[in-house]
Amino acid sequence: MKTICPRCESTGVTQMHAGMENDQVLWRVWHCKDCAYTWRDSEPAESIDPKVRPAWAQMKGVDFDSLRQVIPPAHKPT
Amino acid sequence: MATEKTVSLSAEAKAVAARVGSLRDFLAYLGEHEQCVSWPDPVMPEPDIRNISVAAGNNVSTGPAVIFDKIRGYPGKRIAVNVHGSFGNLALLLGLPKTTPVRELFFEIIRRWGSDKPLLERVAPEKAPVNENRIDKNINLYDLLPLYRINANDGGFYIGKACVVSRDPLDPDNFGKQNVGIYRIQVMGPDTFTLLSIPAHDMGRQMLMAEQHGKPLKVSVMIGNHPAMPMFAATPVGYDESEFAYASQMMGAPLRLTTAVNGTDILADTEMVIEGELQLNQREVEGPFGEFPGSYSGVRKVPLFRVTGVSHRNNPIFENIYIGKGWTEHDTLIGLNTSAPIYAQLKKDFPEVAAVNALYQHGLTGIISVKNRFSGFAKSVAMRALGTPHGTMYLKNLILVDENVDPFDLNQVMWALSTRTRANDIIVIPNMPMVPIDPAAEVPGKGHRLIIDATSFMAPDNLGADPHLVDRPMGPEIDALMQRLSELQKGSV
Repeated sequence: MKTICPRCESTGVTQMHAGMENDQVLWRVWHCKDCAYTWRDSEPAESIDPKVRPAWAQMKGVDFDSLRQVIPPAHKPT
Repeated sequence: MATEKTVSLSAEAKAVAARVGSLRDFLAYLGEHEQCVSWPDPVMPEPDIRNISVAAGNNVSTGPAVIFDKIRGYPGKRIAVNVHGSFGNLALLLGLPKTTPVRELFFEIIRRWGSDKPLLERVAPEKAPVNENRIDKNINLYDLLPLYRINANDGGFYIGKACVVSRDPLDPDNFGKQNVGIYRIQVMGPDTFTLLSIPAHDMGRQMLMAEQHGKPLKVSVMIGNHPAMPMFAATPVGYDESEFAYASQMMGAPLRLTTAVNGTDILADTEMVIEGELQLNQREVEGPFGEFPGSYSGVRKVPLFRVTGVSHRNNPIFENIYIGKGWTEHDTLIGLNTSAPIYAQLKKDFPEVAAVNALYQHGLTGIISVKNRFSGFAKSVAMRALGTPHGTMYLKNLILVDENVDPFDLNQVMWALSTRTRANDIIVIPNMPMVPIDPAAEVPGKGHRLIIDATSFMAPDNLGADPHLVDRPMGPEIDALMQRLSELQKGSV
């Protein structure tokens, strides 16, 4: 099954790291390129299952460009 | 204005200051006083580290620091939490018994506050323990640090207790303007992270300057530090005052500094330094993060940094913090150092101020004890407190009590509220500046302030019926009797 982001449900996710134990993969860390959510696939469902995560924490359909800037950029990025 | 005053320390305090030069030294010292434990069982990064951190911090008086060295999937890696999580640990750092009351810790900090002679030693980079290992290529923060999620709905893995050093982008040779602060850092990739600051903070000012003028902003993220460093990195000192100098002055012993590869000053004995550079005008989606008011901050666009190199000691310790709904290590770490500058600033103008307790959520609630010079005087003191640098943003609820009420004893504060507050005599000041992450703000950054004058009435106030106070027996005689009763309870007499 394809891994999706638990927060924005994007498929644009990348494995960042794997935790090893006795030469076996114990868990993997994933990162979403769209909403920047980072998670470990061994975490409790409240953090990594879109069906269990609270609705307020979900970001499916959010326009990321409209998010508040804490320090607005002085210039356009080059 | 520096006066080169040094603090005079007790023999015990001198011994601690001489012995503790790093996080490792402090953990060993805490262990000797039953204030540091190694967690004996294997733990999963989530939720075990979070849960054990909370449990350790629940005992505000004498909760221990906890070291994890059996983290599943991170063989050989170590984490330390709750190092500043109890007043007992802070007391030991100051050379006092771990059962020292909070009020006495406050006055010990105040006593050391007037010291302003920097005590800094330079160590050649090749001799600095932090440089035992260096990584310049193929940097992977996920491999270097045993990262984990602090609260269940955080947006990622946070470095929550690092002390970040940065130089003023327009005056990079000025040591005083070099800033050391604690900012939340979210790891965004193997060699990228975001760092959240606001324009009111020194780091925020430096980010604004760098981007406005197109100048580089290089930072050194110090992880696992001398225990005085995070206490003073989180203290609001003046922009051109050095937090390194403050930390050394308060300890009364030299701090060892060396120079990072990127030119910033760093602690020579720190566990790990991540050197990074602001990616000018680039932002990344950051948060939420379970913040000190006990609620999650929103998701925002935050400045992005790229890692340029990492130095670390052999077998480094990742020191981190549990932060969220209070009471947490965050409150203990910064509470006394939040209270002390407010007290010092008030005391200059109003010697009647007896003590300031701003322990609660970085001073969102503060309690000031003051002797009324005349009727209504306490309200003037409250207004002055709102005008102090920290008060401007943080002091939201202020309670004023008499000078003979201990603001650190909430039973006494409640007595004052119960018997001195007139409901038509409270002050609400609308639309004041406010911490953006305070969930009680009207809009982020703006909200109301509350002043409750719970001091005794004086003429020309209507004194009311039965205003004469009972003279409650107190002082050394009562303290000795309490001690005697305690011994009788233990059956030792």
